[in-house]
Amino acid sequence: MTRLLTSQKFRRIAIQSTFVFLIAVFIISLVVTGQRNIAAQGIATGFGFLERTTGWPVNFSVIEISPRSTYALVLWAGLINTMLVGFLTLIFSTILGLILAFMRISSNTLMNFVGTAYVELFRNVPVILQVFFWYALLTHLPSPKQAYDLAGIGFLSNRGLMLAVPELSSTDWLTLLAALVAIMIGLFVTRGRGEARLKGLIAVGLIVVLFAVLLLTGRAPDTGLLSVPELKGLRFIGGMTLKPEFSALLIGLVLFGAAYIGEIIRGGLLSVDKGKLEAGVALGLSEFQTNRYVRIPLAFRAMLPSLSNQYVWLMKATTVGIAIGYPDYFAIVSTSINQAGQTMELIALLMGGFIVVNYSIGFLMNQINERIKLKGRS
Amino acid sequence: MKQKLLNLTAAATIAVSGATGAFAQDQGLLDTIIERDSLLCTGHNGSYLGFAEVDAQGAWQGFDIEFCKALATAILGSPDKLQIIPISWAQRFPAIQSGDIDVIIKVTGWTQTRDTELGLQYSRPYFVGPFYVMSKTELDAESIADLEGGVFCVNAGTTVERVLTDYMSTKGIEYEPLAFEKGEELRAALYAGRCDAIAGFGPFLSATRVNADNPDDYSIIGEPIALEPEGIVVNQGEDDLLDVVNWMVSALLMAEENGITQANVDEVKANPPSATVERLLGVTPGVGERLGISDDWAYNVIKAVGNYGEIYDRTIGEGSRYQLPRGLNNLWSNGGVMYPLVLD
Repeated sequence: MTRLLTSQKFRRIAIQSTFVFLIAVFIISLVVTGQRNIAAQGIATGFGFLERTTGWPVNFSVIEISPRSTYALVLWAGLINTMLVGFLTLIFSTILGLILAFMRISSNTLMNFVGTAYVELFRNVPVILQVFFWYALLTHLPSPKQAYDLAGIGFLSNRGLMLAVPELSSTDWLTLLAALVAIMIGLFVTRGRGEARLKGLIAVGLIVVLFAVLLLTGRAPDTGLLSVPELKGLRFIGGMTLKPEFSALLIGLVLFGAAYIGEIIRGGLLSVDKGKLEAGVALGLSEFQTNRYVRIPLAFRAMLPSLSNQYVWLMKATTVGIAIGYPDYFAIVSTSINQAGQTMELIALLMGGFIVVNYSIGFLMNQINERIKLKGRS
Repeated sequence: MKQKLLNLTAAATIAVSGATGAFAQDQGLLDTIIERDSLLCTGHNGSYLGFAEVDAQGAWQGFDIEFCKALATAILGSPDKLQIIPISWAQRFPAIQSGDIDVIIKVTGWTQTRDTELGLQYSRPYFVGPFYVMSKTELDAESIADLEGGVFCVNAGTTVERVLTDYMSTKGIEYEPLAFEKGEELRAALYAGRCDAIAGFGPFLSATRVNADNPDDYSIIGEPIALEPEGIVVNQGEDDLLDVVNWMVSALLMAEENGITQANVDEVKANPPSATVERLLGVTPGVGERLGISDDWAYNVIKAVGNYGEIYDRTIGEGSRYQLPRGLNNLWSNGGVMYPLVLD
């Protein structure tokens, strides 16, 4: 018995299993008590409400929804809205961040100053204030009747930016998308094979010509090629609209995120050991080659972990959209809580949605990290 | 099984959020309030003008706040035995379920979901609120149909969202809905011109209009889109408390009907005109004992906040800066829908 107690292995296992057991007991008792108390209060629980229709409208959605849609569909639309603004933020803020990073490490004083000023300004003001600022700016534009005319193809007013778009049906768009994917695959498969690629390009050309011919001949005679926004009563009809809520949120997040991402990229670039760069030069690589084959690969590895962090953070920051009326996932959940009353279930869904999205980002970044990390070293 | 698992997840969330302790109550909430010697009532996060707003001295004012005071007085004898908890629209139901507040007096519309699935109980309506649309005067809209295609802004998560949707779909009017979480943001969007119109509770619209730089820039379209009965909410099963709430509202109306005011209540008590008034003011016993509170509760309430009409005038009516007409909230004998219950 004493031998058992003094055995380090046994003690370790005993302590760990007791710990796990206590946590399990704690969680289970919380669940059971909570469940009993909810039942005692006569509050309905469960996810049955998801199949009920909402009865309230949503201002902006990528997929088609109406007040007659179910809660499940409306919540899904909210999640898509969050992902739309989130991923666009990641893309644009990375591009802008890259530019800022190069400005910051440049030896040109003016560029350096502009980069530094930008980072200090946008990094040090809370993101919600920035979003409010852009929203206030966009909603103080003139009303639709006095909208700025952008050369007849667009209008800028406090209802957003209205742009002319090609008059294509959803089938047309899908055809175009399919063609684009096919071209990408073709180009990828025929890498380095000149003759095959040439044939491929000819095929692509044929597709484009055929599509154009069908588009021009197959459509109803009086529809134009472009759908141009037109003022009718209180609003513009036709074209596409970038609403101020969406634009303000995107602009605010991109400008804010870029300041952070720029600093992460700059840190990565500066982290590369000077000796390695000199080694590259000593091997006879040009400056471009040193950057391309030595600096950037090493810098990318160094900045990837903080970059993943920043991406996840930015995705969560989309929730400030609720403050300016952008119907993101958080806003939809919040309204649903008020309308359906199933607070606990909806908060669980809210957390679940963000965990899935952010875990996917993390997973993707880890995969990239795995692919590019220096092999054979720890 | 799957359903059960989902339930468990939900239950775990509520338990972790620390709401556990407040549920299991051996005694009724009314007794708990008396023991605590303080009533926990709803305020607002920010200001809901006319109903719950913080004045320049930092004190809560408004129609709903007066009812909180009346209830505190009825149960505990003094309007000061009251704690106003600032709470958003969305928080009000979780807050009452978890016991953070005792009652919701926050122009809360009586809907079936709230009444049943949320485990709540409504008092008789203490206010009926018509919904209107307010648009910019320059748009020259005489009816809601004139605003076809416009942007209509509303408070997110309120019954207005549904009411407007139904109205517009019934009339076949196209519009662009836009919902804001906070009243301040909604007002800012209207003043900035992001919205052509806002839909809402009549009193809220008047307050928004009065608060604009130039109130004449906005006009309320005289076409009500719906009427919502507002009740005071308690948790399901708190029947004793609900009784007090219902009779408190009734006493305020009965006082008005009988011409009893804050100023003359002592005089009337000394010289009651009828047996009913005698009972109401506790000259003859019974009115409080049945409810488990003191017999002179109604007298204390009227002494503290006045009758229904006085409360109305002082907070949102003629005596306030919002100048709302009594309309349907007048006594039945004056063309309204308000009436006292029978005090026997």
